[in-house]
Amino acid sequence: MPETIGYQQVCGMLNAAAGQIRKNHEMLSRLDSAVGDGDHGTTILRAMEAISKTVSENPASDLKTLFSTIGWAVMSCDGGSTGPLLGSFFMGMSDGAAGRTELDYTGVVMAFEAGIAKLQLQSRAQLGDKTMMDAFLPALAALKSADRSRGIKAALEEAAAAAAKGAEATRNMKARFGRARNLGDRVLGHADPGAVSVSLIFKGFSEGL
Amino acid sequence: MPMKKFINDPKDLTRELLEGFAIAHGDAIAIKSEKIVCRAKPKPANKVAIVTLGGAGHEPALSGFVGPGMLDYSVVGDIFAAPGPPKVIEALRLANRPAGILFVVLNHAGDVMSANMAMEMAAKEKIPVKLLLTHEDIAPGANAPAEDRRGLVGAIALYKIAGAAAEAGKSLDEVYALAERFSNNMATLAVAMKTATHPGSGLAIFDLADDEMEIGMGQHGEAGTGPTKILTADQTAELMLSRLTAAIKAKAGDRLLLLINGSGATTLMEMYIVLRGCKTYLDAKGISIAAVRCGEFLTVQEMAGFQMCAAKLDDEMLACWNAPCNTPALTVA
Repeated sequence: MPETIGYQQVCGMLNAAAGQIRKNHEMLSRLDSAVGDGDHGTTILRAMEAISKTVSENPASDLKTLFSTIGWAVMSCDGGSTGPLLGSFFMGMSDGAAGRTELDYTGVVMAFEAGIAKLQLQSRAQLGDKTMMDAFLPALAALKSADRSRGIKAALEEAAAAAAKGAEATRNMKARFGRARNLGDRVLGHADPGAVSVSLIFKGFSEGL
Repeated sequence: MPMKKFINDPKDLTRELLEGFAIAHGDAIAIKSEKIVCRAKPKPANKVAIVTLGGAGHEPALSGFVGPGMLDYSVVGDIFAAPGPPKVIEALRLANRPAGILFVVLNHAGDVMSANMAMEMAAKEKIPVKLLLTHEDIAPGANAPAEDRRGLVGAIALYKIAGAAAEAGKSLDEVYALAERFSNNMATLAVAMKTATHPGSGLAIFDLADDEMEIGMGQHGEAGTGPTKILTADQTAELMLSRLTAAIKAKAGDRLLLLINGSGATTLMEMYIVLRGCKTYLDAKGISIAAVRCGEFLTVQEMAGFQMCAAKLDDEMLACWNAPCNTPALTVA
């Protein structure tokens, strides 16, 4: 019997991710003051509170509807580019989870892969551009290459560690997108708040399972 | 240090400011579905609608320009943050009409992303809408790629010109062509002198030393071309206007629209002195000012500084600029 995760586990992961952002939103806004306009913490918190609220309203019993409801809720919360980007990610996860009530290891990887693919339709950012992709892409790579026999939670922990490492690496990057782009060398030494948020979300995912 | 602003819970800023805006201008505008500002009396559906979107915190922009002769709908985001695609598609559905919609978006990452997603949905629903991105900021260089150049206060002049053409019954293609021509003939530079507080977070949106100013600073504290020592009004006017006129290739005999747009904490006194400096500079070049406005149109909280927008006008643009409009923030009788 292979290990799987279902609706309740996914809700737990989402709630824990929201909890991580709730704990860290002030730090995220301070990070954004160095590279943007200082509101990333507020924005990402709004998006994650929308997720918590959606989860608590129990909008569906299937994963596809859960993720698409969350995607729409995130996009509705007026978060500059964060809303459409993170919203697209969950819309993509909805496509990736279509037709499944439980996700096995391969299903988890497929859902994340579909989420990130949808996100990349909206953002042309690549690895090294100092954006949330610098956390998303290493996390996905880690999920794909993790030792499956250790289970989904262990793989998510590896993904979270890879995302954190990716976010940390943005310190030494110049920005090619968003408001930070215009700052040139002045952003060196400051981590990208979007990448740090994504690493916290993955940390939440792994803790919530 | 607590922020010195007359606000309530920062979470409620946008909703509360729109409620106040509706009380102040209830005869002219109405709020639909919380964050969509529309005219109190809609324009007939046989005329092109003009729709825009953008974050709050820049009052009177952008919703202050909703009204006869200018915008039909403005979709408001949170402070300095684009509205999400769901709200944008809702506004496009409200504006939907056989004559079509001109959708004007200022080039900022989040705004463009929401606009593009809403445009995809609109295409599926067969809503006739054309998107025009403004990107007249020349801080990264007049020849920098369009996606690097931000949309600044020039969009408001564009609303005026496109709005007049729509009001006159021009087709969507005609309104778009005129708006695009105006867009291609305008340039804006911003200068900042003192930072502003983000009213949501209470944090300064950028740092600038006491004896410095920065030309090219965006309307959210995005960096410009680097800080310099403070210059006089005349020096600043000349420095900015020489770059602007070069960018739009203005030459002797040309007629300009000139906007001096205060960012929030720069006094009208200063703006008039700068405008005087602009006139001196243009007179010497034989370029005339055919249209001018000096005041606060698109602000950045209590940031000190201003945006200077120059555009080369032809007869049609000038006629549209002079056509009547009646909005909370701009009236031409």
